[in-house]
Amino acid sequence: MGNIMSSSFAPECTELKQVYDECFNKWYSEEFLKGRGENERNPCLKQWQLYSQCVALHITKDKDLKESLDQARLEAPFESGGELINNKDNKK
Amino acid sequence: MKLFTNTSEFDYPWERVTAANWNKYPNEVSTHVIAVDVLKREVKDNGNVLVTERLITVQQGVPRWIMTLIGCKDNKSYVREISTINLRERSLKMRSCNLSYVNILRVFESVDYIPDPVAPHEKTIFKQEARITAYGTFSRICDSMEEFSIKRFCDNAQKGKIGFEKVLKMFNDTTDEISTTIVNKYNETVDDIKRYNMFQDIERKCTILSDYYDIFNDAFARS
Repeated sequence: MGNIMSSSFAPECTELKQVYDECFNKWYSEEFLKGRGENERNPCLKQWQLYSQCVALHITKDKDLKESLDQARLEAPFESGGELINNKDNKK
Repeated sequence: MKLFTNTSEFDYPWERVTAANWNKYPNEVSTHVIAVDVLKREVKDNGNVLVTERLITVQQGVPRWIMTLIGCKDNKSYVREISTINLRERSLKMRSCNLSYVNILRVFESVDYIPDPVAPHEKTIFKQEARITAYGTFSRICDSMEEFSIKRFCDNAQKGKIGFEKVLKMFNDTTDEISTTIVNKYNETVDDIKRYNMFQDIERKCTILSDYYDIFNDAFARS
């Protein structure tokens, strides 16, 4: 597409991210959108493992970020699609 | 709590909008987004649903002297976003919340991309809603703080739309001829934004306190 791809928050992971993104974008358009998202084999698995390991490592290094991410995951879980699990303001 | 809502439309089919959405950043209009990372991703419901957790890194333009004054390392902040794409429903939902400055300000944003009911294979409707809540002991300024955030949110929403339109076009067109038109169009929109900023500068004196309120408050909280 000639699109510029975004960087990672950790510069060390940017290259791995772009390799993964390239694979994912292809998969998204050519497989997922055509209803073949649950094929037996994930073509981007290897790229994903390398990239996500890198990101996980750098998140652990940033204590503030790690804490706020953990808190956000409790309040608006991945499993609920990021919706707040209770509408009540639980802050202060 | 203040509520901000916004609706607009893109002249592209839903499928293409969702594909371009992964490549929304970087774009030259929304330069405050400097990085986007995927934290978790799952395919569900026999390949019909894709859920993604992303970390968006934002850098707002704060003058260096202020950063030095308050002893801040950098002016980066983070947003966490969960997006759900449902192929059967043809829906894309994005739910996001700021991870930084949460003791001062909370912005919970919902974005939905759905096919236009009249032209479901040609157009996509974009709905945006943000719930903005300011916290803290400075309760008297909280109201103006919330107002200010709404303002910035409006600015960024506007920029986001222009920037995303550009990405959509890049996605759509490949010939040089069309690219030239995009560049021209883009320059025009940038000029519009600049002109808009000029008006904002006039208001600068009134908003400077709220503009850097979060940074100041953060600095006080640390000391």
